[in-house]
Amino acid sequence: MSAIRYLPLVVKYVLRYRGRSVLTIGGVATAMFLFYAVQAMHHGVQEATEATSKDTKLVVYRQDRYCPFSSNLPQDYEGRIASIGGVKSVLPIKIAVNNCRTGLDVVTFRGIPLGAVDNGALDHVRFAEGSIQNWKQRSDAALIGGRLAAKRGLKVGDRVDLGGITVYVAGIINSPEPQDQSVAYSHLDFTQRASGNKPGLVTQFNVAVDDPARMDYVAKAIDVEFRNAQEPTSTWSEKAFVARAAADIVEIVGFARWLGWGCVIGVFALVFNAIVLSVQDRIRDHAVMQTVGFPQRLVAELIIGESLILSLTGGLLGLAAALGLTLWGNLSLSVEGLSIHVQTDAASILVGLVLSVFTGVLAGLVPAWHASQREISACFRAV
Amino acid sequence: MAFIECRQLTRSYKKGNTPITPLEDLDLDIEEGTFTALMGPSGSGKTTLLNLIAGIDTPTSGSLMVAGIDLAKLSRSQLAHWRADTIGYIFQLYNLIPVLTAYENIELPLLLHSLSAKERYMKVAAALELVGLADRHDHFPNQLSGGQEQRVAIARAIVSDPKIIVADEPTGDLDRVAAAEILSLLRMINREVGRTLVMVTHDPKSTEYAQRTLHLDKGKLLEREPVADHPSALRS
Repeated sequence: MSAIRYLPLVVKYVLRYRGRSVLTIGGVATAMFLFYAVQAMHHGVQEATEATSKDTKLVVYRQDRYCPFSSNLPQDYEGRIASIGGVKSVLPIKIAVNNCRTGLDVVTFRGIPLGAVDNGALDHVRFAEGSIQNWKQRSDAALIGGRLAAKRGLKVGDRVDLGGITVYVAGIINSPEPQDQSVAYSHLDFTQRASGNKPGLVTQFNVAVDDPARMDYVAKAIDVEFRNAQEPTSTWSEKAFVARAAADIVEIVGFARWLGWGCVIGVFALVFNAIVLSVQDRIRDHAVMQTVGFPQRLVAELIIGESLILSLTGGLLGLAAALGLTLWGNLSLSVEGLSIHVQTDAASILVGLVLSVFTGVLAGLVPAWHASQREISACFRAV
Repeated sequence: MAFIECRQLTRSYKKGNTPITPLEDLDLDIEEGTFTALMGPSGSGKTTLLNLIAGIDTPTSGSLMVAGIDLAKLSRSQLAHWRADTIGYIFQLYNLIPVLTAYENIELPLLLHSLSAKERYMKVAAALELVGLADRHDHFPNQLSGGQEQRVAIARAIVSDPKIIVADEPTGDLDRVAAAEILSLLRMINREVGRTLVMVTHDPKSTEYAQRTLHLDKGKLLEREPVADHPSALRS
């Protein structure tokens, strides 16, 4: 595109029509920020709920219960589950949350037995600070997920009240598991006491299966095992479990995606309007350019270039704002003790930038074509 | 062959449903290096003729040869390149681009040529010096007087060293003193730089600066005055 050689001229137009440019870029940035924010929520939901062929985790919950407050299973189910063929490991967990509703500031405690840690239940986590030894030494110790720690400004050695439970921060952990980012891992018996339950009751069992292909078989086998028990179970793959618990959020985020696409259309309309108005304002300028020898195509490229700069600058500012919010805000939506992390992923960034470029070029095309097709002498007669 | 040669030159267009013929069967020769004034009442076809010579309008019929090129045979794109190389245009209302400084306005035609930034700077500085505005290069049009704006427009017209400079009532929007300065400048460009100059004017006094005055009425040429017969030309 030969307009690159004339970029300084286009930049001067953008900078020196300051009011118009600031308003247009501001509008585009706001719309693209909303687009990225919606995409970030969608990505979080997708990551938390979309099943893959490599999934090996099952969640065993109390049948017909949908909240950690009401799902109570005897801890001694652990041995019976472990004896089912295809089960690799069983982890009894007591979930404690400060509320069961959906929110951005819900703290989830996962109480796990000391022995499970020795058996590798937390082998997948990496310690950013502290150590597993710190955690083992104190009954009120907790390992805090990286996002939760960043959000609350926590560090090892702090004593902190999280949702009514006071714990000692023994370590800050990072994990590839989405559900580990915003939780506090505490001792099972401590969590049982702190949440007002009797010892011996847990919220759920997390079951690792030795073969991803046997997930359904094992899930059915577990539910059959406890079909006639006083506390029957309902077993799901972990991602299906999250999808069920977060069904309302999934639906809302699905709807919000349409709003995101609406924002893109808004960007197009905004830039198109700004360029149409400025081209109408500059009929004489373009006629002067053509008089001194600028070919029609070059005039059109200058207009498209200006439209592209407005749209792309707005898109980049919107992206910066969205990245800032998701990176430093450490946002996560919690529902029924499960976390959905709001994070802008690389694919969304790429899609947003491509859309900014595309809408910028598209919005400039029609005004550019009109401006370049006008007869020069007619332009001077018109103004 | 004359430098500018019009034969049965006609330009017509429609305004709504009404056909308008501002120029009809015009025959005209203009020699290289001359300063020609075009006079006539409003609607006589002066500006239309100027626009045709400058290649920003195209004839409906007839032929127009400028510097050996038949303009009727050029495409819009070819005409644009031809204008960049051959024509410097001075407007009555200056038509400077408001968001560009005097320097940037003058530099505009040079962007079309393969020149380095330094070469462009040298040429713009020389043009500003020639029109006496070397100290106003960073002023925007709204920071200049009418006379200064027209000087910048003249600098823009001459900066790429075109063969022909056309001026459409260049003093029409100026007071008498500023008008005299602009006309003197144009005459100097014609005489010292040797450029062919064609100027449209309403003002009989302005014709005193030209070597030849042509009168147009209703799209036709009324009379010609040879250079030597023009008393004011001798006086100046």
